[in-house]
Amino acid sequence: MAPANALPTDLDVLVIGTGAGGAPLLARLAQAGLKVAALEAGVRHPPEGIATDEVAQLGLFWTDERLSAGNDPVGFGRNNSGRGVGGSTLHYTAYTPRAQPDDLKLRTEFGQGEDWPLEFSELEPYYDELEYFLGVSGPENYPWGPQRKSSYRHPPLPLNGAARLMQKACAEIGMKTSPAANAALSRPQEQEGYGTRHTCTNRGFCQAGCSIGAKASMDVTFLALAESLGAQIVDGAQVTALTMKDGRVTGAEFMRGQELEHLSAKTVILAAGAVETPRLLLMNGLANSSGQVGRNFMAHVGMQVWGQVDDDLRPYKGIPGGLISEDTHRVPGLIGGYLLQSLGVMPVTYATQYARGTLKWGPELVQHLRGYNHVAGINVLGECLPYEHNYLELSDELDGRGLPKPRIHFSFGENEKKMNAHAEALMRDLWGRIGARDVWALPRAAHTLGTARMGADPETSVVNPFGRTHDIENLWICDNSTFTSSLSVNPALTQMALSLRTADALVEGLKQA
Amino acid sequence: MTTKEREAILAMLNSAHVTEPTRRALLERLNARYGHEFFDEVEFGRLRALAVRLVPHDPAEMDLAGTVDHRLIVGIGDGWRYADALPDGEAYRELLAALPEGFETLNGDAQDAAIPAVQSSHPHAFEDLLAELTEAFMAHPVTQYRFGYAGFADAPEWPHVGPNELEPREEAYGPR
Repeated sequence: MAPANALPTDLDVLVIGTGAGGAPLLARLAQAGLKVAALEAGVRHPPEGIATDEVAQLGLFWTDERLSAGNDPVGFGRNNSGRGVGGSTLHYTAYTPRAQPDDLKLRTEFGQGEDWPLEFSELEPYYDELEYFLGVSGPENYPWGPQRKSSYRHPPLPLNGAARLMQKACAEIGMKTSPAANAALSRPQEQEGYGTRHTCTNRGFCQAGCSIGAKASMDVTFLALAESLGAQIVDGAQVTALTMKDGRVTGAEFMRGQELEHLSAKTVILAAGAVETPRLLLMNGLANSSGQVGRNFMAHVGMQVWGQVDDDLRPYKGIPGGLISEDTHRVPGLIGGYLLQSLGVMPVTYATQYARGTLKWGPELVQHLRGYNHVAGINVLGECLPYEHNYLELSDELDGRGLPKPRIHFSFGENEKKMNAHAEALMRDLWGRIGARDVWALPRAAHTLGTARMGADPETSVVNPFGRTHDIENLWICDNSTFTSSLSVNPALTQMALSLRTADALVEGLKQA
Repeated sequence: MTTKEREAILAMLNSAHVTEPTRRALLERLNARYGHEFFDEVEFGRLRALAVRLVPHDPAEMDLAGTVDHRLIVGIGDGWRYADALPDGEAYRELLAALPEGFETLNGDAQDAAIPAVQSSHPHAFEDLLAELTEAFMAHPVTQYRFGYAGFADAPEWPHVGPNELEPREEAYGPR
């Protein structure tokens, strides 16, 4: 018998990355009978090993240094970049709204931004499937977007303090709200390949990893399923190069510990995210005949407004994003729109954001932090247009492996600035209505999107509408780098839908070949 | 920290309300002392003095400056830095060097008066250091106890999440 850590051979497909891009398709391809494996830079983080402590949980994040440039430099690491078997889904807030049909047609609607090379109707069946499989908890009738075919699988999770305050404030100005859709269980669920996933215990540490498997991260859902079907996951394996022969990709070279190793496969799928995917392509000079690799980097407008109230809110309890409003999906004067969500928060995250956001220090800083139990937050997540001035490039500075660190340029454009101003005014008004004091606003950008966009035209895009690179027939990309526009919703659910769609296209293509 | 504070913290950390990985992390932090390996004696003295002004604390009960030094030795960062800033350790050294001569021996008011100048001459280093010290402060069990923060005691569920719906273990934790 081969040793447990032996590398697989004769692979049909090798997937690089195990997050929301890599995991669903790994399971789908295994289900179709293909011999598949995944390389993951991080290690396994079983739920029972997860501490309720943000500092101890730093290992869930991508902490290799990235250089942030531009007028609005993006913070990486804890803000948006995961590392481990499950990728960024280990720390996502499990917030799973669907994109709306018009999100995919910005250029048609506004003459700016880009249209996606696919229709909402192509995503919809995948949304249905995913919400059921992941076990999304949500309202019986979701009030925005096209009528759903069925309700969410589970009833909504309980609303915490911030959610109830937002509900009250929004009602005062006639703004509609609803319990959000969250991929965390309000009832136990049997998960194929994993076992029983338990009900959420209202421990608001989703962003530091779920310790009970209630949150639908990829490790307890698609990856467990994939492994039960024979897929192999090689963890602790940092890919350093793609190998090529006669214009086709033949596999990937990776570092595991101090060893340089190689895996061969007939097809390779890059699912390493909107920073590592273009970085690897640029280092290897691949798939870039369009010159678009690294271009059109996007990060959602993510303005947060915080305040303190007399009530004891305990913002460490309950799902962090419990209440939503999409009433601002379209706002006159803005291209695209945004959604509003209530915010619970963990103490260290709150404290460091306050320090960076206000630069307060001394007794004033400590006095504010002393009120942590009374903190309520609200934030937006809004459209960010693709721009020429936002891009990723390789710097001259080398990391610990001798590879160039990526430098990411990001500046809000006019539309994002207008959206920030609109959102800040609205949220300050809402928090004024609940009598919040010490109100402060944190302008920020969230998520990593773009850098290897999909499109029908090989001159202006890196991959085709199904994720295959225009340049290399057996190299595909399936992660948030292929997003044509940012969408005005959290990206995870749409990313998983794209992943299943890519898998179906790949299997269909293999059948025809 | 007083004996009473320490006993209350240990009682909670060692209770069934705290999961094993959480307990391990917090007990280790409660007792952590690092000293200096990255910074030299003078630099570290300045860092400690600056840290006390930026995030008021007693270095005898929580070693925030040592936590920064230790992090720089271990070499793990937070995943990014401003592209026009030096690597963290070098940036902090420059910030410390920009403080007036004898900063560590000045009285508190004089130290506070000197801080805005280095904040404006080294804005990124100032922000990063402030955030790093704030993180170490807020993550410390003593701070959490004094602020009545009990979020780590979540081995049982939190059945009630609405305003003022506290569990007995939340109400009991912290100064009365």
